[in-house]
Amino acid sequence: MRFLIICTSILVILAGCSGNTEGEFPQENISIVIPYGPGGGFDTTVRVFAPYFAAQLGEDVNVLPQNMPGTGGRRGTASIYRADPDGYTVGILNLPGLVLPSILGEKVDYELNQMSWIGRIESQDYVLLVQESSGIQSIEDLQAVDKITFVSIGYGTTVLAAIQIAAEQMGLMDKDLKFLTGYSGTNDQLVALVRGDGNATISPISTAVQYVRSGNLRPLAVTGNKRNSNFPDTPTFSELGFPGLTDLNVQRSLAGPPGMDPNVLSKLREAFLRVMEDPEFLAAAALAAMDVAPLNGDLAAAEIETNFSYYEKFVTNLSNPNQL
Amino acid sequence: MFESLLTAFSYLLSDGINFIYLALGVVVGVLFGIIPGLGGATAIALLLPLTFGMAPEQAIILMGGVMGAVSAGGAVTAILLNTPGTAPNAATCFDGYPLTKQGKAGLAIGAAASASAIGGAFGLIILVMVLPVAKTVVLWFGPPAFFMLALLGLTSLTVSSGNMLRGLIAACIGLFIGFVGYDEIGGTERYTGGSDYLWDGLSIVPVLIGLFAIAEMLVLFVKGGSITEAGSQSSIRFTDTLQGIKATLKNIKIVMSGSVIGTLIGAVPGIGGVVASFMSYSFASQITKDDNNFGKGDIRGVIAPESANNAKDGGGLIPTLAFGVPGTAEMALFLGVLILHGLNPGPMLLIEREYTIFVLILTMLGATILSTAFICMAAYYLVRIAYIDSSILIPSVISVSLVGAYAVHNTIGDVFAAAFFGLLGYLMIRYDYPRITLVIALVLCSLMERNYTQSMIMFEGNWTGFFSDNTALVLFLCSIFALCIPLLQALIKKRKNPGGTIE
Repeated sequence: MRFLIICTSILVILAGCSGNTEGEFPQENISIVIPYGPGGGFDTTVRVFAPYFAAQLGEDVNVLPQNMPGTGGRRGTASIYRADPDGYTVGILNLPGLVLPSILGEKVDYELNQMSWIGRIESQDYVLLVQESSGIQSIEDLQAVDKITFVSIGYGTTVLAAIQIAAEQMGLMDKDLKFLTGYSGTNDQLVALVRGDGNATISPISTAVQYVRSGNLRPLAVTGNKRNSNFPDTPTFSELGFPGLTDLNVQRSLAGPPGMDPNVLSKLREAFLRVMEDPEFLAAAALAAMDVAPLNGDLAAAEIETNFSYYEKFVTNLSNPNQL
Repeated sequence: MFESLLTAFSYLLSDGINFIYLALGVVVGVLFGIIPGLGGATAIALLLPLTFGMAPEQAIILMGGVMGAVSAGGAVTAILLNTPGTAPNAATCFDGYPLTKQGKAGLAIGAAASASAIGGAFGLIILVMVLPVAKTVVLWFGPPAFFMLALLGLTSLTVSSGNMLRGLIAACIGLFIGFVGYDEIGGTERYTGGSDYLWDGLSIVPVLIGLFAIAEMLVLFVKGGSITEAGSQSSIRFTDTLQGIKATLKNIKIVMSGSVIGTLIGAVPGIGGVVASFMSYSFASQITKDDNNFGKGDIRGVIAPESANNAKDGGGLIPTLAFGVPGTAEMALFLGVLILHGLNPGPMLLIEREYTIFVLILTMLGATILSTAFICMAAYYLVRIAYIDSSILIPSVISVSLVGAYAVHNTIGDVFAAAFFGLLGYLMIRYDYPRITLVIALVLCSLMERNYTQSMIMFEGNWTGFFSDNTALVLFLCSIFALCIPLLQALIKKRKNPGGTIE
């Protein structure tokens, strides 16, 4: 009797250990870690993307978003970095959000170059905004103003970095320049500009669109290589003679932990590219105001180096303007 | 505006499935409200994928059902187990739990549920009236005004707590805890000891779970027995809940004031429901000062916070819909739902899709009423929990609390925080320090500091700038007035009773 029990137990344990060594990837559900809280831009992007990704990966596979906010995105990223590279845990990463801490001299618990990049979903450009009622119509007008106060979210964020770089490139450093930081989100920052706490700001385009449409804020310039369809009359920075600001953007890319099996990775990459061409996904993305700009895994990874060299150039401008 | 209202109404009645979504939202909302640590935000996040195939209005009905029902559900646990089901229900514990101890749980639940319904309805009415001018009102509040508002909150807090010195100490502890974390303006970490967990500061839900749920379980452990000693099984009847509803109707003035406070505070982004319910409690305590039993089972101490914390949902919609700036965490998620369905909140939403807003408002109204009915009917079964012996109750509540603390952010750090605050809460109960003051100070801390620093940047160090901002000036005068209330009350008493002594 005891012999029978021991045999059965051994068989059960062996059955449990077999795991996923047989059968094709994917066999079970995949999680996408979101290093930010629910309701934000990264969260929305993943939730729109997930069902289409699941559809491309197979019949019984679900793709489950998992929020892991904290430490400005570094906690979730570190957990993706440390996860088991079996392909069942991936995450959405923020460039230059994850590059900035290293540039600003902080230690981080992840190594972007070692991660297994799947592909870039979005690339958001920035727009320079002033109040409609201020009468400022162009960058020249802004340069003529004596006292300029930029409103922004906190230190360490990509938005503030963008503002500091833009202020330097537009030649505003000699003026009476203030950075009113500390707003809790880009929406708060834009409301602050509408209210008049400051007279200019730079924001990701998707958040700003509604304020321009309602007539409260006026766009002066956009980053990126071509004009944005939301503001067709607004020139790009490079058109206006500030080519150094073209590369300011926020990218949302999918990546997995380092050391993933090449077959698993290429399956994920292929499924990813198919989603990026799926017209239903693109329609859903457009509805959610996403700025889809797909890049394959290798090109998405190449952006790390582009970001590092870009921000390193401006590192002297990126110190805390409100150091207490 | 009226046509949109009628269109919304007819839309709701047009399709039977709309009612099913509403009912589903309400049931999920009540359940998530009852379990501590889970709340409206979690419920909405979990239901989000379900909404993908739905029309935007139907998604709104589902989410509106959840939002309207969650705090009513949270009141049940607050009353029966002294565990706030959601953070804003914490104030309901103060009188709800003593009522349970006296065997009057059914009464408390009936009062809480009906106060939630009426308070919530009133808050939504205020929302509808305010919406056209919402944008202007939100724009009045810049950093100087927010600072003064936080100051007003702290002032009225110290005025209303019993022992002034202990209240101040508790507030200082609360402020100190609030300072822990990364300072976004100065760019430095404070008191974190290099820990990643503390980088974001201490999250309010684990603190509340510790201070109110675990601490009370520790007290119960020391005392022994079950929560309710008085009375027997026979005192739980449906008529008790009806009596509770009658009590709410009798005290309709408190419901109204609770609703107003809830809506106003819910409308200010970043403050949240906790402060709304606590301030309503303090205010009700103040205006009935001579004739109340607050803290020992006064039914008005249940009615006041419950009407406020449902009204705050109506208030929270104001900045959410007007600007896309969420008033509370649930609003942030709700925003995500809107965006997912192509409805970008902001100035345009109010103009282009007024009827969608009315669908939401009517849904939340329906949800508060439906959840009230649901809870009152289930009260008989729910109330049994109070009679369970502590040897079963204490381990169950503590485990649910700790799991709930983990559930908030999926971090083990929150569990340790809850345990720590459980011990702290026990000590505070034992030595009679007000926990409510600590909590409000904690919540108001970041609002106060952030806006103070921003104001000083705006004024370039010149603090007289605070008085040149109209809204800030008005709020400052309110703070002064609040400080003078005890003095005025004493003067009025002396007038009425010239020869007698003033206490």
